[in-house]
Amino acid sequence: MVFNSLTFVVFFAVLLLLHRMPFSWTTKKINLLIASYVFYAAWNPPFVILLWISTLVDWVVARRLYESTGVTRRRAWLLVSLAANLGFLAFFKYGEFLLANWQALMASVGVTWVPPEWNIILPVGISFYTFQTLSYTLDVYLGRSKPLNSMLDFSLFVTFFPQLVAGPIVRPGQLVPQFAVPRQATSGQMLWGFGLIILGLFEKIVLADSGLAQSADAVFGAGKPVGFADAWLGTLAFSGQIFCDFAGYSTIAIGTALCLGFALPENFRMPYAAIGFSDFWRRWHISLSTWLRDYLYIPLGGNRGSEARTYLNLMLTMLLGGLWHGASWTFVVWGGLHGLYLAGERWIRGRTGVKGDPVGAQNRLALALLTYLLVNITWVFFRAETFEGAARILQGMAGLAAEPVAVLPTIYMIKVGVIIAGMVTIQWLMRKRTLEDVVARAPWWLTGLVAAAMLFAVITTQGSGEAFIYFQF
Amino acid sequence: MTQAQAQDQVTVREIPAARLATIGWLVLVLVVAAVAAWEWKMRTLGLQAGDLDDSKSQWAVERRKVADGVHDDVVIIGSSRILFDTDLGVWEEMTGRRPIQLALPGTNPRPHLKALAENSDYAGLLVVGVTPDIFFTDWPGIPLFAGLIDFWKDETPAQRFGNRLWVELQRRVAFLDDSYRLGTLIDRSVALTDREGVRGPQRDVWKLAEVSDHRQTTMWPRLEADVFLRDHARWVWGPFSGEPLLEDADVARICEETRRHVEMIRARGGEVVFIRSPSAGLYFESEERGQPRARSWEPLLRTTGAFGIHFEDYPEMRNLDLPEWSHLSGASATRFTRAYVEVLTREIPWLRRSQPGEST
Repeated sequence: MVFNSLTFVVFFAVLLLLHRMPFSWTTKKINLLIASYVFYAAWNPPFVILLWISTLVDWVVARRLYESTGVTRRRAWLLVSLAANLGFLAFFKYGEFLLANWQALMASVGVTWVPPEWNIILPVGISFYTFQTLSYTLDVYLGRSKPLNSMLDFSLFVTFFPQLVAGPIVRPGQLVPQFAVPRQATSGQMLWGFGLIILGLFEKIVLADSGLAQSADAVFGAGKPVGFADAWLGTLAFSGQIFCDFAGYSTIAIGTALCLGFALPENFRMPYAAIGFSDFWRRWHISLSTWLRDYLYIPLGGNRGSEARTYLNLMLTMLLGGLWHGASWTFVVWGGLHGLYLAGERWIRGRTGVKGDPVGAQNRLALALLTYLLVNITWVFFRAETFEGAARILQGMAGLAAEPVAVLPTIYMIKVGVIIAGMVTIQWLMRKRTLEDVVARAPWWLTGLVAAAMLFAVITTQGSGEAFIYFQF
Repeated sequence: MTQAQAQDQVTVREIPAARLATIGWLVLVLVVAAVAAWEWKMRTLGLQAGDLDDSKSQWAVERRKVADGVHDDVVIIGSSRILFDTDLGVWEEMTGRRPIQLALPGTNPRPHLKALAENSDYAGLLVVGVTPDIFFTDWPGIPLFAGLIDFWKDETPAQRFGNRLWVELQRRVAFLDDSYRLGTLIDRSVALTDREGVRGPQRDVWKLAEVSDHRQTTMWPRLEADVFLRDHARWVWGPFSGEPLLEDADVARICEETRRHVEMIRARGGEVVFIRSPSAGLYFESEERGQPRARSWEPLLRTTGAFGIHFEDYPEMRNLDLPEWSHLSGASATRFTRAYVEVLTREIPWLRRSQPGEST
């Protein structure tokens, strides 16, 4: 189920009630586990079986890994986990993509082969929970941690509903110890949790769905060349939409967990105020970027080898990071562009010796805007469904579209301008601050007014429970 | 603490040192007051509790009745005209059957006819509403209802449960109306000049109907009385160019495709009838220029061999009230339904020989 639905309101109310009843801690954890399965099954009940298999495989493999001493045997057990987890991912998410590319490859050597019709539904959030369970097994394999003693705790770690389908991707060390001792939210945690839920819903329903989605959809779905203003506004709208959609989800997830007494890590930290791309990736989808760093970039050698090898590792990591988002070459190009940006930044910093932020507020602001502008170019490949579509938008952004059509109504152009300007300004002002810090310093009545306005907008904008963009990844 | 270290340490979240309880109470009081005021304002605009949105989920509820075979098997498909112009209560009163209403605003019924013919064992009486500038085109319909044909099967348990909750809320609260969401109102509130070729929210279809159980759709009473809203709707339907949408060859192709599907349903013991609901004013004139009856409606009946009711052929179906030229007012819809069901009862043996709850 999605957070922005009445079904979730009822589900969460019942769960909160159960969680505050005088049950034993084990009973409460069982309640949470069952609730998490219900949360997932509410999309497509049979896919819960995938969660069970993933849980069982990694539970068994981690124990066997820990008990085994021989290198070969340990590798064999690791392969079992990788085969099961990545096998599911490959089949459900990349099956059609692989077949289509195989068909194209065969055609290029003159072999005509028509793949069978692919009618497989993608299990929601499979990329997220696959990475989460893999991190557990990999940590045990790498000797970073021991296997857990409680299967209940492990199952809950894999399935904990607030972050199950769209992150944050949590590491065992961040969450599992919280299951060890009874937890119940304090009144402060509960109130702040609800505050975060309101903020996340506002980002999703009011800003992403109601404020920006129409413009992004209209421009990217035009199917014709679009002019400079439409192309830029459509892309800027998507940059805001995807941020508000995804950061909104993470914020609701964090708030929901907090209401139950659990702490989830930050997943976004004002990414559009980033100065440079290494800074951007320290602020955007933090749980994924750190996962890729720890389980892909560093095992590949990271920056410990030659300069050329470092660049290669960087590119490989970002290309695979792109593919993680979706089974399409456009996502690979999106990742590749970020890889090039990171490599370029590394090269410039290496040649100039500049570390950290540049000196001078104007320089910092200019570089932040340049970073945002370049990030927007990558979003074109992320949002466009084909390279032809991406090329149309990029031509428009360069002012080179032939016979462009006007797409956006004036009111949409104004909305995109106002929301994006507001979003970027707020992120810039809060670049080095946390929301908690801002709220702590603001007058209580101002915080109350803002929260009430956001909640009122959520209630009166409603929405039809549209799914979050990142569910498809 | 570095990010690498943070990955291995138990997450702890800071709670702001603010008067959170006071803030919570302030939010609660302000939101309750603001929502109550909003509800009052929406009621003054003519919205009512019990007016249910016509959503994908509500359509799926009705569509599943066809699949389950637990309901009378008269089914209506079509666009908004047959949806607005049919009084399901009158149908039930006259025939003992309440039809399943599957017509959809701004949607071509032909893909639905195809689905019922090819992918179901449907063998009832299928009433197909024909709106010429939709039926005789290859336009599938507005995006809102795109992909709906299989949605009744694909709808998730969460969506089904959510729809039930939503309907129950809408029975009690007026402001949840889909056409009067805050974002929609903001889009419409400022009449800005749009660039050439762009259709802005001012040119969107605004609220036209009220919807009750079983997707009984009736023209919104305020639209019948409010000259501004009525004129706005007429303007939206424009510009009434009367341009032909398709060539005769395409119309022939559509008729032939429709014939195949009609015959598939007939082969199973079912029946298909077509109904051309009234239109008026510039809209009717434009339709007659673009898709004249002789080059669209007549070939359709000739090719399919199906029975059809064209409102012009029956005096009791003419001179009805169409405030915005495309849909009947509530009272006229009741009259129109009574008139066309009477004709169907007389002309369609299926209706006479089949008892409610069973197919022939």
